[in-house]
Amino acid sequence: MVGTDPMVVLKADYSRSGRNGSVVKMKMKNLLTESAKETVYSADDKFEQIMLDRKEVTYSYFADPMYVFMDSEYNQYEIEAESMGDAINYIEDGMPCEVVFYNDKAISVELPNTIVREVIYTEPSVRGDTSGKVMKPAKISTGFELAVAAFIEIGDKIEIDTRTNEFRKRA
Amino acid sequence: MPNKPDMPRNCDIFCNVIDNYGDIGVCWRLARQFANQHGLAVRLWVDDLASLAKLCPEADVTAGQQQCGGVEVDLWRKPFPEAQPAELVIEAFACKLPDNYIEAMAAQVRKSVWINLEYLSAEEWVESHHRLSSPHPSLPLIKYFFFPGFTPKTGGLLLERDLLARRDAFLKDAKQQQAFWRSVGMEMPAAEILKVSLFSYENAALPGFFDAWVNGTQPVLCLVPEGSILTQVGQYFGDPAPQAGSDYLRGQLHVRVLPFVEQQRYDLLLWACDVNFVRGEDSFVRAQWAGKPFVWQIYPQHDRVHLKKLEAFLILYGKQLGQPASLAVQDLWLAWNMESGAEKAWPPFAAELNGLNRYAQDWTRQLAENNLALNLLDFCREIGRMRALEIEGQ
Repeated sequence: MVGTDPMVVLKADYSRSGRNGSVVKMKMKNLLTESAKETVYSADDKFEQIMLDRKEVTYSYFADPMYVFMDSEYNQYEIEAESMGDAINYIEDGMPCEVVFYNDKAISVELPNTIVREVIYTEPSVRGDTSGKVMKPAKISTGFELAVAAFIEIGDKIEIDTRTNEFRKRA
Repeated sequence: MPNKPDMPRNCDIFCNVIDNYGDIGVCWRLARQFANQHGLAVRLWVDDLASLAKLCPEADVTAGQQQCGGVEVDLWRKPFPEAQPAELVIEAFACKLPDNYIEAMAAQVRKSVWINLEYLSAEEWVESHHRLSSPHPSLPLIKYFFFPGFTPKTGGLLLERDLLARRDAFLKDAKQQQAFWRSVGMEMPAAEILKVSLFSYENAALPGFFDAWVNGTQPVLCLVPEGSILTQVGQYFGDPAPQAGSDYLRGQLHVRVLPFVEQQRYDLLLWACDVNFVRGEDSFVRAQWAGKPFVWQIYPQHDRVHLKKLEAFLILYGKQLGQPASLAVQDLWLAWNMESGAEKAWPPFAAELNGLNRYAQDWTRQLAENNLALNLLDFCREIGRMRALEIEGQ
């Protein structure tokens, strides 16, 4: 809660400030007015947390601008593209995930912490480098681009951490 | 008096002294600028008067409330007394204001403009965080984050209106320079002597520097204001009790220990020297206004985060500097901050001093376009106008 407004965090960037302090820039959306804005907080600022409900669903289809999910009882839930956050980078038909509810309204979606995706384009591998320390850009089927180890090739399946959008390993 | 109708009339600055003089240095400088150059009634709430007294010798360390240099200085006690919040409230370096003061701000009809003045950094992320709002988690209050910095998209740096003119006058006037040298108990050094000021945290690289200067080809006069590096200076020369006035001579090096230099006189020291070693935030900025080559020791942080911040500044500073000079600066600064290899990094830096001197002056001119105190006041007025429009629209 921020004041009397229930907010959902769409994106958060953490940066180290001076004297061992930290700041967090957040894109937050007001769950009542649907308006979104960028804010910044000290990393040790405290908020009252809203109790949210969750339900296991699978992704069905996109009906612009809504992403539609379905639970095991064939109930459908719609989430606006703007509220999808980084999940938009990985969503695929039939993908299992969790829809988050506030006051019975679907407000966002959460993915598993790690997922496996196929690389559809990357520059050729750097020969001899298997350390995983040298990185290069690679594209997955949603068009999302991330840094992967230099030895990854087109067609390889890779494990991605959905919380950080980082490559973890070849799957 | 304020010369613009929507200018804040008064300001509370809160300063929690963590260690050294960085926090209070910035707050004291900002308080004096607001009070003396912009006509605001300023209260500086500080929890350590002894630190302030080092920078402002007229401050009484026993006084709960006093006037110093046009500023009301109040001891930040716990519990915090009831106080009417000012129109502009500056929380320096996320120091966490007293709860009852925050509640008093929330109870106002016309709310204070509340700004968290953050630490100085050259990192790219600063631009995207500057001026963002931070609505209070439970009260009807909005705080704003304000980031000082080196680029036009940041809050700029603290610069007194007349500082650069005073500096230029000093550099052109042999009498002023002589007066300065006499005030530190010396005659004006000969032109061929390289004059270095050394203000730093403890640093294991110091003996390496001294070795380089002792064995160099140019005579070096090193002025060391009293501070945490003094013990190491004494150790190098075998003196267990170095103090203000101590003189040490070895090879080409002459070291003179100065009494702790208060803010007003510290600029003169920087202007009088050819190279300035500075540390933390306030002296780092002053060295840039001096327009002389300088070496920065950044405040060390956990997980070596400070090295990223150092690197960010080196990249920015080196952008328009030619290759051998930028490399020489980078090598020396890294050696000083990594605390090793200084003796090897000094000669290439010394060889570039003429070019670095010219570049430092260009850099000063560039930075002087973006004034932190003015930007803070403009931002405060902007927020005030925005709120007035919101009230009109209701």
